[in-house]
Amino acid sequence: MAADPKMRFLVVDDFSTMRRIVRNLLKELGFTNVDEAEDGAIALQKLQAGGFEFVVTDWNMPNMDGLTLLQTIRSTPNLKHLPVLMITAEAKKENIIAAAQAGASGYIVKPFTAGTLSEKLNKIFEKMGQA
Amino acid sequence: MTAANDSDELEALFDSIAADIPATPPTPAKQDNSGDSDELEALFDSVATDYKPPVAAAAAPEVDAVAVASDAGWPAQESVFNRIGHMMRELHSTLHELGYDKLIEETVSALPDAKDRLAYVANLTEQAACRVLNATDVANPLVEGMENSAKALGQRWDKMFANQLSVDEFKQLAAETRAFLKEDMPRKTQETRAQLTEIMMAQDFQDLTGQVIKKIVVLAQNLESGLVNVLIEVMPETKRTPEVTDLMNGPVVNAEGRSDVVVNQQQVDDLLDSLGF
Repeated sequence: MAADPKMRFLVVDDFSTMRRIVRNLLKELGFTNVDEAEDGAIALQKLQAGGFEFVVTDWNMPNMDGLTLLQTIRSTPNLKHLPVLMITAEAKKENIIAAAQAGASGYIVKPFTAGTLSEKLNKIFEKMGQA
Repeated sequence: MTAANDSDELEALFDSIAADIPATPPTPAKQDNSGDSDELEALFDSVATDYKPPVAAAAAPEVDAVAVASDAGWPAQESVFNRIGHMMRELHSTLHELGYDKLIEETVSALPDAKDRLAYVANLTEQAACRVLNATDVANPLVEGMENSAKALGQRWDKMFANQLSVDEFKQLAAETRAFLKEDMPRKTQETRAQLTEIMMAQDFQDLTGQVIKKIVVLAQNLESGLVNVLIEVMPETKRTPEVTDLMNGPVVNAEGRSDVVVNQQQVDDLLDSLGF
């Protein structure tokens, strides 16, 4: 499935450098409609305001961490359909399992490459197309 | 080393640790206590301030400090502060017995320095990241411009070879191509190269941060080897708290010999596949 280049992304990370890198990578992949949030709480506010179609989030953040954000999204009726891709330095197996069980659409460990991001996004788009 | 001097430094150390505590992210398990951190900080400070290391045998001030905690009416926290109070007291007397005073003295003087050094590392790495991202922001449009100009000229040359251009159009194309090759292209490659140099130069932080980090590693090793054993000695098995932030450990710095972590994206994918996700 060819993804809509106008698809609106929300990039959630407490480090501005990381947000900028993800934003640049998304731009290279053709997605220019990107907004940012610096933690899960701010992300949730922005998501509630509506208009987003894809969430890329870090795990370890102040105020609300990425797993809690994911769980909240999955338990909120108007948000639960949103694809959530986790990009995190957390590399313990129990982290990956916890994220998968909470309903993450994909899991990328830092440091990561542009190729990995592209591959995971395409995989998620494929699944969305089948749904 | 005088006992009074020792107490002041220990207190300064404890204060600095206590002041840092609220910076730790809240644990996911406690969702309803977001307002607690200020109160916790105040309580912790009060305990830290009231605390007098038991240079003499008198233990009364610590009891007072613990009483402050119980008066405030948080049963769960009270036991923690109780434990910390006891730990500090036992730690201090054990240190005296074992002759670790010297180590503590050195550590106390080294810690503020280590904090400054780490702040310096954070600064330099952030600056470097910004420099590199700025450079790519400048270079990308340059490269894009060259690509677009070259493509446009190429298409017009295709027309030329298909005999679709008039003599005037051909002259125009030849002149524009010449200008592109002689001026536009070299100017943009030079500007791009300047940005590549900027990216290269931005890596100079590695040398500086490397040196600083090595020094801190040495400090940490000394601190660890000296204190861990003492801490374990004074902390009974039953009172050891489980790690609260089990799922927020940050990057795995050394994965050697560990089977509970993944080391690359392939292992993440394999794990998820094996679980049917």
